[in-house]
Amino acid sequence: MIRNLLCMTAPVRDGFDIPCHELGPASSQLSVALVGGLHGDEINGIFILSRLADFLNSVEKGDYPELRLAKRVLVIPAVNVLGVNQRTRTWPFDKSDINRMFPGSTGGETTQRIAYAVLEATKRAEFRIDIHTAGVDFEELPQVRLYGPSDAERETARWFGLSAIMERSMSPVFTTTLKHSWKVWPGQSFLLRVGQAGTVQLEHCQRVFRALVSFLGRTGVLEGVQLAVEDEDTCYFDKASGYRVFAKKAGTFVSDRQVGRWVGAGQELGYIYDSFNGNVIEKVLSPAAGLLTGIRRHPLLFEGDLILRVNKKIAKAGNR
Amino acid sequence: MSPRAALKHAAPSIETFFTIDLPYCESMEIRRTRFSGGAGPRAAVVAGIHGDELEGLYVCHRLAAWLEELLRTTPQALLGTVELYPALNTLGLDTLTRGLPVFDTDLNRAFPGSAGGPLPARLAAAIMTALEGAVLVVDIHASNIYLREIPQVRINQEFEGLLVPIARRMNLDMIWLHGAATVLETTLAHSLNLRGTPCLVAEMGVGMRVTPEYCDQLVAGILNAWRELGILAPGTPLPPATHTPLIADDSNVHYLNAQTSGMFVAAASHWTDVHRGELLGSIVSPFGGSVLSEVRSPVDGILFTLREYPLVYEGSLMARVMARKGGRS
Repeated sequence: MIRNLLCMTAPVRDGFDIPCHELGPASSQLSVALVGGLHGDEINGIFILSRLADFLNSVEKGDYPELRLAKRVLVIPAVNVLGVNQRTRTWPFDKSDINRMFPGSTGGETTQRIAYAVLEATKRAEFRIDIHTAGVDFEELPQVRLYGPSDAERETARWFGLSAIMERSMSPVFTTTLKHSWKVWPGQSFLLRVGQAGTVQLEHCQRVFRALVSFLGRTGVLEGVQLAVEDEDTCYFDKASGYRVFAKKAGTFVSDRQVGRWVGAGQELGYIYDSFNGNVIEKVLSPAAGLLTGIRRHPLLFEGDLILRVNKKIAKAGNR
Repeated sequence: MSPRAALKHAAPSIETFFTIDLPYCESMEIRRTRFSGGAGPRAAVVAGIHGDELEGLYVCHRLAAWLEELLRTTPQALLGTVELYPALNTLGLDTLTRGLPVFDTDLNRAFPGSAGGPLPARLAAAIMTALEGAVLVVDIHASNIYLREIPQVRINQEFEGLLVPIARRMNLDMIWLHGAATVLETTLAHSLNLRGTPCLVAEMGVGMRVTPEYCDQLVAGILNAWRELGILAPGTPLPPATHTPLIADDSNVHYLNAQTSGMFVAAASHWTDVHRGELLGSIVSPFGGSVLSEVRSPVDGILFTLREYPLVYEGSLMARVMARKGGRS
């Protein structure tokens, strides 16, 4: 079923809605809430969730006789509807970041009202998943991000079967995000980061689609899922395991490396060229042996820009 | 010391305190103007953290003009040091962008920053290093492009005891105390106050515009505060500080958000007394002649915020009224 999470008026256009998919038995409690497109330019998440909604609708219609949707699922492919249509990360009218407006309010600014509606619709779910990308300049390996997680969340994060789980502490920067607002409610919350903004990266999207189906299978929401054995182990990375390389000089960065590959310490991963003279001014080397979990995609570099991140495998406690 | 020598000693200097290379053939420099006098305390004024807020730039100009005249006529009256940072977000100001261009980041959400890493963190750290240790930092903001504000200072209640006595002398019309829970922890002011450098956030006017009378009002307040702090010699003639601030907090400020989308047309004037039920404006549709919504004051009070940009979405803030009754005004 499609329903409108929120119907709003606009100054001189028709009103606009924030639609969502409600799937599974109406009598059951909300089990999984999936949110995408809080930022209007994060298209990977929007594409993944719209495809997931299509798949789950097909399951409900009986197109997959071996599968049964046993619990209630809410799918919001895009919260920032106006931003998606205008290709902007923020709310186009006043440039506010909807993911800095939580918990929101019913009587506040437009984006606070949107935030409130999203939180109200999702906060009681047993499992809550917010999908993001990096910005337009950077590509992230599809990963589960945990911020100050509970032990249960650490364990459940493995059910996605993604190759990387990144744990971070909760920073004051995040206190007005959806993820943070979810934390005061019972249940588990996850943030997935998938690729870069402004594009659909099909391979990443397919990987995360399978991850979500796997997750729905393991949580008992989707019965009959044949769970695949992953090609490689899930690696658990804390902040200390990450080795970041920042640009020592401004210029043009070029690399043909792909995220998700294991690299050796000192391996050449790219070059920085002088943007005017064209000469190589820096070879970018891997700072450690590990997994390439993120790399810059916009070539023009300011001094100090993040170029890449390699995460070293944690030998003992980290990889549970 | 001869008058010529004194003048040379006290001449203002424009210094670059932060430089970073841009990708193609340019570098970005952030500059300050320093007026050095005696060995007394140091004060700073910062502006232009948001590239669409220009009121503070004009305040810096007016302060610079006043200080240049002081150094020309009575340099001995400058007992300490004054630093003016009129354009912290230089790229944003030069390209009419509120945040840091390219990074799509609000610089005032990047503090205290860090010395390594991307530009926003690096710049924030450099600004912190430059300002720490001052006896007073005034961080001047205009409102955004949507709202007009009276000259006011905003203070986190956590620092109320330290900052309110200074703010009372700033010749502003309002001191707005914010509860600690609503304060953004990544702002310049919060970061400086946490580290023991008093920082007042002044806000006035509207984005992308200059309101000279508000700027001159704040200039008088800053000069009076500097004299109280011993940066200017006692008895230094100053423009009079004639404004006494009203005190507002979360209990007596009323927000008027749009009930529907359309075009807001004000019926009341900014910075006036209003009465409960008084019409402050209307939301109309350009497609028809009817009024979609009337905006009325919920209390007797002062209309201290008024919408400047007419188009509103459902929820857009149109006005704020500070109640005279039941509050601390």
